Amino acid sequence: MKSKLLSFVALAGLAAGPAMADYSGLPRTFLWNPDYNQMIDTSQFAKEGPYTIGFSNASQADLWLVTFFHGVQWAADRNRDKLARFIVTDANSDPTKQVSDIQDLLNQDIDLLLVNPATADALDPILRRTMRSGVPVVTAARRVESDDSFVSFVTASDTALARMSATWMAETLGGEGRVVLLPGLAGASPAEMRLNAAREVFAQFPGIEIVDTQYTSWSPANGKQIMSAIIQREGADTIDGVWADSGLQGSGSVEAFLNAGVASSDIPPHTGGDLNRMYKLALEHGFPFAGIDYTPSIGISAVGLALDVLEGASVPKRLDVNFQVVISEGDETESIKADVMLADYVAVDRPDDFIMGHGMGPDYDPKTFSVDLPN
Amino acid sequence: MAAGRRFRVDPSLVIVTVLLVAVLIAGFTLSERFGTLRNLMNVLEQAAALGFVSLGQSLVVLVGGIDLSVGAVVTASTVLMAAVVEMNPAWMVPMIPGVLAFGAFIGFINGFLVLRTGVHPLIVTLGTGSVLNGLVLLYTLQPTGGVPYWFEEFAYGRIGPVPVAGLVMLVCFGFVWFFLKYTAMGRSFYAVGGGEESARLSGIDSNRVILIAYTACGFFVALAGAYFVSRTGVGDPRVGEPFTLASITPVIVGGILLGGGKGNVLGALLGVFLISLINNLLNYMDVSTFIQWIVQGLIILVAVSVYVNRERKL
Repeated sequence: MKSKLLSFVALAGLAAGPAMADYSGLPRTFLWNPDYNQMIDTSQFAKEGPYTIGFSNASQADLWLVTFFHGVQWAADRNRDKLARFIVTDANSDPTKQVSDIQDLLNQDIDLLLVNPATADALDPILRRTMRSGVPVVTAARRVESDDSFVSFVTASDTALARMSATWMAETLGGEGRVVLLPGLAGASPAEMRLNAAREVFAQFPGIEIVDTQYTSWSPANGKQIMSAIIQREGADTIDGVWADSGLQGSGSVEAFLNAGVASSDIPPHTGGDLNRMYKLALEHGFPFAGIDYTPSIGISAVGLALDVLEGASVPKRLDVNFQVVISEGDETESIKADVMLADYVAVDRPDDFIMGHGMGPDYDPKTFSVDLPN
Repeated sequence: MAAGRRFRVDPSLVIVTVLLVAVLIAGFTLSERFGTLRNLMNVLEQAAALGFVSLGQSLVVLVGGIDLSVGAVVTASTVLMAAVVEMNPAWMVPMIPGVLAFGAFIGFINGFLVLRTGVHPLIVTLGTGSVLNGLVLLYTLQPTGGVPYWFEEFAYGRIGPVPVAGLVMLVCFGFVWFFLKYTAMGRSFYAVGGGEESARLSGIDSNRVILIAYTACGFFVALAGAYFVSRTGVGDPRVGEPFTLASITPVIVGGILLGGGKGNVLGALLGVFLISLINNLLNYMDVSTFIQWIVQGLIILVAVSVYVNRERKL
């Protein structure tokens, strides 16, 4: 048991590594999880290398997904000595295409399937069948419903991220106010888990009124358009806070307030990490802000874990990659403290569309990123 | 002379066959695993949904119509089936004919509205599709429902090496081909598509033919919906979206004239195989999904420019 725990801690530490700037401890979700972590014995999947890994990607439809995709390729490149082939498919957000992609990968005799499922439910049957055929499955960023459809799930805790940001919002408002909720993509497990967790928190503050809840597909343009419509309908001065599960749409919301002529000092508190533009806007306009990145370095950790499975190491059923809490100066609350202050975190010299927490080092540039993987 | 006419081959079938052979040769050359029986059977299974939807679309196009509600009907069928069966798993078996009847009913409504209003079917079916999509999204924004594991066998099951879904698709195409070629009602599809008024003057009840075409289209499209429930185990409120346009590609590539009256459903079947094999091959070549889109778009453009009836454009 002890050795299993140690191996998990080592793995979690590795997972934490690439995404960290200041906080270098273990993921809070590991430290605070009241349950024991289930460790999986993968000796039945152990093989001699080099390995053939199939990576079925769900989509590159937003900036976060592009960075995640790059992270997977970057990690595969760094481990190319262990890989005979690393075959990549992309389903363009279509779960039925992803089923076909996975069938095509299996036909190429892959040793392991790494998958970012397009939805939590639709991939369940094919992944269950993949596992039954003896090919181990590692899911990254999104999971599927059944536990027996995968060996391990690599993620950052959506529930922790949303509970912390929603708690920060409720406490910042003193438990009273009108809040707009801007979740991500309807049906995507991270969006649904975060929304449910945030609602769970807000429900504990009777003085908080949810004005509206609108899915944004994690798009800055959608965030701006939707918030502009809400401002038109409700009036900017009646909205006391905007809870966004990511800065992708959160930045659009801030721009909607600015477009409506709201002074910087009157922009209500916002949440939402990931996008450098969100951090820049918060710093420039000085509104109360809490950002928590859902780190795309999940992809890097997932490749490492996949190789561990093929080497027969014990792995956790669920691996949470670390995140850190970024808060604007003077806006920490009773329960939510900053790991790093906004001014120290924002990447002022990087482009607005830069996704934070990518874990690929200071030279990473999504526009020029390219690797040549063996396939 | 008579014998020569009997063996005359439809030129559109020749073109799509040549394209298909070209893709197969490219596949055999570029990837050693492309030509394996396992892969080709996978492609047959993967082609089933596009096959069912394109078969329905072919019938409607043959009578001079078009159905832009097919994507919405696929979606509504999957959600209806998965949601009802999750509420009561004992309804799994009755829901198979049930969902097909639902699809046929929507098809009938489409046909009825086209005939009753006289508005172009493009507009009518876009409207019914929009209503259906709205209803589905009101009911659920996320994948919903569930079916018993045994129903997965429709999508994943095999008879020997042959996938069940692929086999069902081939049987459906065979049945429709026979119907169109060897029955009076089938031949009247071409007459109505060639000119509704002249068909009517020849004593054909063109309204009945059009109603049958739309109803059959709904039936086959709902079969695609059932296939998706089997394949994914859930009713996905967005699963049908790509099929509205995708269903038209094999119809055009297979040489069925947009505007109606001319074409062969076997051409559409070859079109389905062509599209499915191209997607499969591009996956093997590790080509970006975006390039797959470009290739599909180019195929449509080339096919349209080759086959378009310049006098009767839609």
